[in-house]
Amino acid sequence: MIYDKPRFSPGGDRYILIEFGDEMNLTLNFKAQALAKLLEDNKQLGIIESAPCFASMLIHYEPEIIGYDSAVTYLTELISELGPSDDIVLDSRIFYIPAVYLDPWTKEAIDDYRIKINNEKIYDPDYVAELNGLENAQQLARVHSGTEYWISSLGFWPGLPFMMPLDPRCKLTAPKYNPPRTWTPKGAIGMGGASTAIYPEALPGGYQLFARTPVPIWDTSKRFDVFENSICLFQPGDRVKFVPCDEEAFEYYEQQVNDGSYVYNLIEYQKFSVKNHNDWVNNLDITKRF
Amino acid sequence: MFTVIKTGLETSVQDYPGRLGFRNQGFPPSGPMDSWSFRLANRLVGNEVGTAALECQYIGPTLAFEQDAVIAITGADMTPKIDGEAVPMWTSIHIKAGQELALAFAKKGVRAYIAIAGGIDSEPWLGSQSTFHKAGVGGIEGHALQKGQQINWRAVDVNDTLVNRKVKSEALPDINSNNAVSINVVYGPNVGWLNEAGKTKFLSEPWKLSGKSDRTGFRLEGPKLSFTDKAHNKPPEHGNEPSNIIDQGYPVGGINLAGETPIILVNDGPSMGGFINPFTVPGCEFWKLAQAKPGTQLYFTEITVQQAQLLSKEQSDACADDKITK
Repeated sequence: MIYDKPRFSPGGDRYILIEFGDEMNLTLNFKAQALAKLLEDNKQLGIIESAPCFASMLIHYEPEIIGYDSAVTYLTELISELGPSDDIVLDSRIFYIPAVYLDPWTKEAIDDYRIKINNEKIYDPDYVAELNGLENAQQLARVHSGTEYWISSLGFWPGLPFMMPLDPRCKLTAPKYNPPRTWTPKGAIGMGGASTAIYPEALPGGYQLFARTPVPIWDTSKRFDVFENSICLFQPGDRVKFVPCDEEAFEYYEQQVNDGSYVYNLIEYQKFSVKNHNDWVNNLDITKRF
Repeated sequence: MFTVIKTGLETSVQDYPGRLGFRNQGFPPSGPMDSWSFRLANRLVGNEVGTAALECQYIGPTLAFEQDAVIAITGADMTPKIDGEAVPMWTSIHIKAGQELALAFAKKGVRAYIAIAGGIDSEPWLGSQSTFHKAGVGGIEGHALQKGQQINWRAVDVNDTLVNRKVKSEALPDINSNNAVSINVVYGPNVGWLNEAGKTKFLSEPWKLSGKSDRTGFRLEGPKLSFTDKAHNKPPEHGNEPSNIIDQGYPVGGINLAGETPIILVNDGPSMGGFINPFTVPGCEFWKLAQAKPGTQLYFTEITVQQAQLLSKEQSDACADDKITK
C-alpha cells in the first residue's frame, strides 16, 4: 500500500522516521530519493542528515534548533513539493558482479548457525526455494540471477546496498533469521523480506544466504580507481547484475583482487527511465519464472 | 607526546558528536558513549566540549608523558594514579614530562574519559576523529590504542589557570554501582507493531544487560513480547516473522527487535535494517547505558519526545562552562 499521506514517527529525541507506504516499489523509493535530494539542496538549519530506504526515510535533526513538530511541518511541505516520479529519467550505472551461487562459504556459516544456535534451521537456499514455490535451489539461483537489481539505499554497514529486483518475475521473499547470525562471510549475498544485499565485510546478519562474490564493495584504502570519490562502490540509483560463476572463477577473481589487477566491470552510458520500465513491466507475464 | 605503555581493554580516540552526515552511506556516528562525562572532561581542561579525547572501557591504559600537559579524568572510577600516587577525578591536573598516568579496572561504572588540554591530534576521517573499530577507520590507525604507539596532542600553554578546575556538584552524573538502573525511552518509531500486552511487559519487567554487548549494540535478556495484527498480517516483502519490516533507517538508540532479542543500537551500531524498533533510548540516557555493567537489571520508563529533548538540553547545560569552578 502507498499511503495517502506520509506517516511520521519519532525515534527518540533526535530522529524522525517518515513512511511513504508498506510495500517495495520504485515509486516509493524515488519519493525517498527525491526528498533526500531536496533536503540536501535546501540545507534547512537543524536538519543534520537523512537516510532514505525502500519506502521510508530517516531524518536526524537537532532539537535545540528545530523541534519535532516544526520539523514534521517542514518535511510535510517539502514532500508536497515532490513531483510525480513517472517522468524521471536518470543516469544509472550497471555493475556486473560475479557470484558463486550455492557456494561452500555461506554454507559453512549456515552450518555453524545450525550447530550453535538453531538446529532446525533449514539450509537457506532450500528454504527460500520452497517458500517461493520453486523446484529447488538451482532454480533459486536462476531466478535470483535473472534480473537487474535496483540499489535503493546504502546502510546497515558502510557501503552495503539494499536492492530490489527490477524484473517482477524474479521477485522473491523470505523471513529474516531469528535470532540473527553472529557472523556472515565477507561478500555473502542474501535476502530478507524482498530485499537483496551484499555483505561488505564479515558481519552479523539476518538475511538468508545463497551466494558469494569475491569483489570488494567498499575499500577504506582505495586500492582501486572506482573508490576514488567514495569508499563505497555503489550509490543509490545504480544497478547490479549478478553473473553466476564457478568456484574456480571465484578464486581467479579473488587472486586479481589481492594483487590489485582486478578490473571492475561496470557500464556508465545508460539512463534509467521510470516510464519505460513501467511500460515493460505492465506487459510482462509475471507468472512465468526462469 | 605520550607513549602507550599498557593499552587497557579498549582505549580509543573519540570526538563529539562524532561522524555525522554519512548515515546515507551506512556510517554510524561513533563518538563517546557517555557524552556527559566526555564533555565535562573537555570543559575541565579548557577545550571545546567536542574535542578529541580518550574513551577507556573496563580497564584503563597506562600512558607515559614526554611533555607537560593538563589532563582531566571523568566517567567510571578506574582509580587513576600518576607515578603511583592517587589523583582526583573530575579535576584538571598538571602532569609533568616523564610522569606516567595509570588507570586500573573500573570499580564504579564502565567507561572513563581522559581529556588533554588542546585535544588529541590525529587525522580526521570523514570529518571526525572518532574511532569506528569494527570498520577500522578514524582514531589512531582505525583502531583502539596499541602498545608502543606515540600520540600527539595539539600544544597549548600549560599554565596554572587551567589546573585544579572542578565540576560543580550539581552538574555531575550519578555514576554508581547499583545493579538496577532506570532508563527513559520514547515510544516509536515502530511501537504500533507491539500490542498493549507487549508494551506493558516491556515497561514493567526487568531486562538483564547481556555480556554480549559492545559499542555496536547492547543486548537485553528478558521476556518475550507480543505483537499486533499489523505485525502478523502484512505484505510478504516485510519478511514473515512478526518483528520483520521492510528495511528502514535505524535511529541511534533504537531498541531493535532482532528476532526476539532486543538490542539497543548504540554509537557504532547499524544504520539500517529489517527489524522493528518499537522504542528508542534518547541521547540523554546513553550515559547510563555506557556506565552499566553486564548483568545490570534495566527498567524502562516511557517519556515523551518533548521530555526527552528537555532532558538532553539540561544535560548540555550541565556541560556548559559555567559548571566549572576553581
